[in-house]
Amino acid sequence: MPTFRAYADVQIGDVCPPTPARFAVTQAIADAFRAATLDDEPNPSAAPSMLAAVYLIQVLQSRGSPPGGVHAKQSVRFHRRLAVGDVLLTSGTVTDKFWRKERPYVVMAFETRDAQGALVASGVTTSIWGAAA
Amino acid sequence: MSGAAPPVLRRVVTQAVIDAYAAASGDHNPIHVDPAFARSGPYGRTIAHGLMTLAFAGQMLNRWSDGRFDAEGEIEVAFVGPVFAGDEVEVFGELQGPADAPGLTLSVGCRVGTRVVLAGTARMPRA
Repeated sequence: MPTFRAYADVQIGDVCPPTPARFAVTQAIADAFRAATLDDEPNPSAAPSMLAAVYLIQVLQSRGSPPGGVHAKQSVRFHRRLAVGDVLLTSGTVTDKFWRKERPYVVMAFETRDAQGALVASGVTTSIWGAAA
Repeated sequence: MSGAAPPVLRRVVTQAVIDAYAAASGDHNPIHVDPAFARSGPYGRTIAHGLMTLAFAGQMLNRWSDGRFDAEGEIEVAFVGPVFAGDEVEVFGELQGPADAPGLTLSVGCRVGTRVVLAGTARMPRA
């Protein structure tokens, strides 16, 4: 059973998860992502950069938002091409929280690095927090 | 890649597609996959994952740029409307800025019919 957090308990500066989330890019994961996103790219040799949507989920889920939250904004910058075999470490930090139109928002910056410490992707996620736990 | 705008990319989203994306991404938020839960939510029915719609935009940009978007691109979007099961999503882009700028900037969007569901900006190096 996941542990959910109330919006009031989210603090700017929170690091999610406490230690970076590890994600291994496999051919099976890349293929499943391509299939699920209806990607019929004829040359699927490299892993799609938007696989970020998968390894980022681990970080987003570690925040403890209750069910029902939705993505409001997303920025992502790719610093190099993703490859099958990459081992990625992603960490996020809450940089802002605010209410708008009676909806509770949380802003989190993330960085993804490879096993050598080189930056692979970075960006910012703005989410509407899920309903109260 | 030509100097023209990227060709429009179309994707039909069904509940089966949404469910497959949930399985592939690990995002099983019930607002996407549980019709009973979603009925009591703000949209009254399940919606597609925003990051799936973003992945469609990435596909268009990557094809148009011969892979440069995947290697060195960046994108910033707002999810301005929901995508429902049964929707056909059209992904479109338009070049912005001066022709001699050091990099390429595009306005990027997704629409369902006339309803815009994603809007933003993408950047990448020139070839």
